[in-house]
Amino acid sequence: MVVLKWNNEWSNEWNNEWNNEWSEFMTQTEVTKDEIMAVYPKVAETMADALGCDVEDVKLDVSLIEGLDAESIDFLDMVFRLERTFKIKIPRGKIVENARGDLPEAEFEQKGIVTEKGMAQLRSYLSEIPAERFKTPMKVADIPRLFTPETFCKLVVHAQREAQPAA
Amino acid sequence: MAMTADSGLAGKVAIVTGGSRGIGRAIVELLAAEGADVTLFYRDQVAAAREVVAAARSAGASVGSEQVDVRNSKACAAAVDRVAERAGRIDILVNNAGMIRDNQLAAMDDEDVSLVLDTNVGGVFNVTRAVVPHMIVQRAGKIINLSSVAGEKGGRGQTNYAASKGAVNAFTRALAVELAPRKITVNCVAPGVIETEMSQAVRDMAGDTVKSRILLKRYGKPEEVAYAVWFLASRYADYVTGQVIGVDGGFKME
Repeated sequence: MVVLKWNNEWSNEWNNEWNNEWSEFMTQTEVTKDEIMAVYPKVAETMADALGCDVEDVKLDVSLIEGLDAESIDFLDMVFRLERTFKIKIPRGKIVENARGDLPEAEFEQKGIVTEKGMAQLRSYLSEIPAERFKTPMKVADIPRLFTPETFCKLVVHAQREAQPAA
Repeated sequence: MAMTADSGLAGKVAIVTGGSRGIGRAIVELLAAEGADVTLFYRDQVAAAREVVAAARSAGASVGSEQVDVRNSKACAAAVDRVAERAGRIDILVNNAGMIRDNQLAAMDDEDVSLVLDTNVGGVFNVTRAVVPHMIVQRAGKIINLSSVAGEKGGRGQTNYAASKGAVNAFTRALAVELAPRKITVNCVAPGVIETEMSQAVRDMAGDTVKSRILLKRYGKPEEVAYAVWFLASRYADYVTGQVIGVDGGFKME
């Protein structure tokens, strides 16, 4: 098992790789399971290419970091590849900041630890992720550890909707 | 392992900023002569850029151009995407575009400061940011930044230029760390005083003083810088990253 260096640097890096549009993206009409399954095969293939792993390992609910050893640069790689594969634009920026939603920073986290209110916010923001993975106390820098292929499927579906507004 | 003389540059897709004149032109010509597909970026030297492209093409090389002000990030992104769209990939980026506006610090106006920093540092950020996604996906790439001996040993009247080149050195080392997981190398070539239009004023005004500080007692030629860039862009430099290679004839500080 690769031991990942994990610190605040990561979270800063992460923050910079996404932007505010993300929250708009993820709070639009909920994505259905059918929509997710429609893009999942191609997403899995693309992510396997980025991570250099077998496509069978890219299970819908596996943690990209814990389960597939993804590092921060892999996330960028996946986004670039998904953009090419699906001919979409995926906004980059402040994902963690946006996960916070309307909660003021001081209510979302204290000294780098996500508050109870913050956890509730995260659970609804990342609704595809099994509840037991939201372990407390959770560091803000550890939020990306939650992300799964399904998180990215949702991202792709939202980007497709942006590109082709519902008739 | 047998050594061969194949740089591996044939068919590689390269972008060279500031490629219409001076050192940039020499780099364009050398990479193109090695069989690379080169796009030069230039800002306002339309005639010079055309001449470089025409000369290279008549020699059978693959060279194109894009008019881009590297201070404009959107223009950089668009031009880089056009290259990637056409060529399918980007293997080599040479950040060469640079300006000087020498003056004593107290006499510098705002534009002397902003023009030099925005071009020499901002330009490197703008073009590199647009190129890196392509290299990350490719899991390969070579980024070569043109720094200067002034980045380490700045002279009188060079605070703006020296600061910009010191920044390029620091940028190079940090980006080398960031991109190493994707096998992308990032290096600098730091020329000394090279016979170009840009250094004409310095050579005219302080030629003897400057020469007395060069161990080899002569100025460099653009192609001598281009050879270092060629090395860093070639497969021979696959194991070199985060370095600043001086091509300065052995420049001594005052």
